[in-house]
Amino acid sequence: MAKNVRISEVGLRGVVGSGLSAEHVVDFASAFGSFLGPGAVVVGRDPRASSVMLREGVLAGLLACGREVIDLGLVSTPVLQHAIRRHSAAGGISIGASHNAAEWNALKFLGAAGTYLSTAEAGELLDLYHLRRFAFVDWKNIGRLRMEDDALDLYLEDLANAFDFPALTGYKVLVDCANGTSGKILRRLNGRYGFRFVLINERMGAFAHEPNTSASTVALQLAPLVEPMEADAGFLFDIDSDRVAMATETGEPVSEEMMLPLLADHLLPRSAAKLVITNLSTTGLVEEVARRHGGTVIRVPVGRQAATDALAMYRPDEIAVAGEGTGAVMMPRFRFVYDGIASMLAVLSMMRERGAKLSQILAGYPSYSILKGQLPLQPRRIPAMFAALERRYADGRANSTDGLRVDWPEKWFHVRVSQTEPVVRVICEHRGGPLRVLFQELMDQVRQYAS
Amino acid sequence: MPREHLLKIGVSGIRGVVGPFLTPQLAQAFAQAFGTYVGRGRVVVGRDTRATGPMLQHAVHCGLLAAGCEVIDVGVLPTPTIQLYTGATGARGGLAITASHNPPEYNALKLFNASGLFFNHYERGELLDIYHQSGFREASNAEICSVVQERTAPIRLHFDRVLAQVDAERIRAKKFRVALDAVNGAGAVMTPQFLRDELGCELHAIAVDPEKPFPRVAEPRPDTLTELSALVKKHGCDIGFGQDPDGDRLAVADESGQVLDNDDVLAIAVDAVLARRAGPVTVNLTTSMAIDDVAAAHLAPVNRTAVGEANVVEGMMSSGAVIGGEGGNGGVIFPAVQYCRDSYAGMALWLDRMAGTGRTASGLANALPRYHRRSATVTLEHGWLGTVIQRLAAEWPAAHRDRRDGLKLMLDGAWVHARASNTEPILRLSVEAKTAERAEALFLRAKELLSTSGPPSAGPASPVPTQGE
Repeated sequence: MAKNVRISEVGLRGVVGSGLSAEHVVDFASAFGSFLGPGAVVVGRDPRASSVMLREGVLAGLLACGREVIDLGLVSTPVLQHAIRRHSAAGGISIGASHNAAEWNALKFLGAAGTYLSTAEAGELLDLYHLRRFAFVDWKNIGRLRMEDDALDLYLEDLANAFDFPALTGYKVLVDCANGTSGKILRRLNGRYGFRFVLINERMGAFAHEPNTSASTVALQLAPLVEPMEADAGFLFDIDSDRVAMATETGEPVSEEMMLPLLADHLLPRSAAKLVITNLSTTGLVEEVARRHGGTVIRVPVGRQAATDALAMYRPDEIAVAGEGTGAVMMPRFRFVYDGIASMLAVLSMMRERGAKLSQILAGYPSYSILKGQLPLQPRRIPAMFAALERRYADGRANSTDGLRVDWPEKWFHVRVSQTEPVVRVICEHRGGPLRVLFQELMDQVRQYAS
Repeated sequence: MPREHLLKIGVSGIRGVVGPFLTPQLAQAFAQAFGTYVGRGRVVVGRDTRATGPMLQHAVHCGLLAAGCEVIDVGVLPTPTIQLYTGATGARGGLAITASHNPPEYNALKLFNASGLFFNHYERGELLDIYHQSGFREASNAEICSVVQERTAPIRLHFDRVLAQVDAERIRAKKFRVALDAVNGAGAVMTPQFLRDELGCELHAIAVDPEKPFPRVAEPRPDTLTELSALVKKHGCDIGFGQDPDGDRLAVADESGQVLDNDDVLAIAVDAVLARRAGPVTVNLTTSMAIDDVAAAHLAPVNRTAVGEANVVEGMMSSGAVIGGEGGNGGVIFPAVQYCRDSYAGMALWLDRMAGTGRTASGLANALPRYHRRSATVTLEHGWLGTVIQRLAAEWPAAHRDRRDGLKLMLDGAWVHARASNTEPILRLSVEAKTAERAEALFLRAKELLSTSGPPSAGPASPVPTQGE
């Protein structure tokens, strides 16, 4: 059986028992405990069975490095990031594989501000990991573990300051928790603040469906229930609640690409900041929305690492919103942390302020059609493939910062090598109807270079 | 290089100075090898109170879960309690995270099979092979089990097993005044309850805070139990008990505060058991001849084994011994409770004997036949073992020789035993005789013969003495 593990600047990710091993976990936690500046380390995990195993290894490595460890238990990544800032901790580790299938797991490393490590920092962590020369302390200085159970409440208090909660409690909202960490958060919002979230797939544990936030997953269980339940909207979260997807009150799944333009439209007019940061694969609607408000779109390579590095290149007060076409959006009010719950509350606020239904708001945007495909990778032939594509589409404006993106007025394509899987991804978008001919043409060409 | 053994991975498991030597990586890998060896199922994990215990326990959990085992976390408990619970709950095996009587910078993993017994020689060898081959079992997400916490059931089980073997009512009626030094070890979580609530003693305890470091040298010996002696005197106690950090060893102070010889502690336990039931006794080769006299009074045979708890337990099982142990280190093994060194069995047997005979602790000890013992450790250069052992054999040619563990020479009313340590580059010399003068003379002569300062006089090849650096 093929083994699946990837160790990179993004952290440790793999299939547990078939690539990702206990040894990886203990080594990485030891490296992180050796890497960080002085201070405590905050740890949280998602509800995967294997996360319990990963947690034990993470605690062992951190305690051996003399770290005080604050364990939040089962929490979303945004709650963990919030707790890191609240404690002025040295950093944190989020245990969980987010939107990946159940057999996967991962360690995500967070710095002192609760944000992901920069590429330079992550590179240093990797060096320590590979050297396996860890800063273990003697028995007198061994770390201590502390459990903390009020992290969720303190996070919610922060959200309550940012949003007009009483104004939003009138909405009846159906949520597909995908058996992840969002259920606990939404239950608490109902109990403590009187929200009316109706939850499906709430129980943490086995996944009722793949936990990704694509429109096709929304269509599985959430969308068909919204109208019969007479809900005002439907939302679906991934396991660690940093991504979110939507369905309208009429039961229509909304493209995952819509979350960023929607929130850009909401946030740009309310702020002096005019920059929108997104990646090369995200919908062109972002530019169109930004132009309406005099904003500018910065496009960076795909992946969390490029987004993290890009954020550092601008003053925080210049950035209105950042995100990607997967439903992962970060807002300045929340210190640029991908936060699905905050994104959902922003959409509900938008509905409330405009006094409009979700379907009506979405109808105000032109239609963009995006087609996505992938083919197995043949690494040796990748340079030749890009050279051929660039020659073939020389009439467009080429951008080769991440694979090849070619733009024409009202249409573009992006062909790139995935950082997480051994595949080539092909994305093609057009304002108006779908571009099936161009998409098929691209897929055929890429296939010639695929394995 | 100093020949300090800061890390040892061998047939006795894994032991070392935590931090730079005994790392979380080693503990995780060893636990995963253990999980691979015992198979998917429940594994009981507990620890003593060392500061490094929680860190190593997380590493052990990680390795066991990764191998697909379900972890029963019993937290801080004495080693015999963990063993007993492992054997009683249908677990695949158990692990105790403890370096027993070693200093606080050390820690170790003790490994138990499904019966709660220490792994035997062959099991240890197989486990070690799996560890070195690193072909560990790796469970998938769907196969990974959880960690279940279980804190009270093991304690209750242990108390019930011990109390069933003594006349608890009679002990309670005596309302003994008892002093305890639990070295802030694992005993701290249950010994006060045992003595006060279960055996009705008036308890005067020190070092019973499991959160605090060891306040004295961890090994319970006369020279490390001065606080216990003072406590006995201060409160006029009938007896004082001293435990080691993982509660397998027991030291006893009499009502005058004098800490008794460990061989005498075992001898009284043997006497207490033989007074209730007939059967053989098994002790190791360095245990006092006092055991032979006590057993003879009950017409019980005595078998001897190589030193080491696992060896004694194996010997006890094969001979059907009703009581046994290791005199030198205060280890009472009472199979009716469990085949392991157990300070709780030891405490109960002592109180039972005092209640049954109406004698004081010193009265019991003084009634034992008096022998005089001397022991020492001698540094051993590699290559010298044969030379020095042959010197010893040549010195007393008429002696009966027992070569099961080093060399034991049985003389008339005395013996000399020299054996190489399994864990350190030293020879352990023990001598016992009827009179102090004879013991001293034999001891000094044997020590001289074991010294490697002169050139080797025999042996297959002349070793080159190592130069100091």
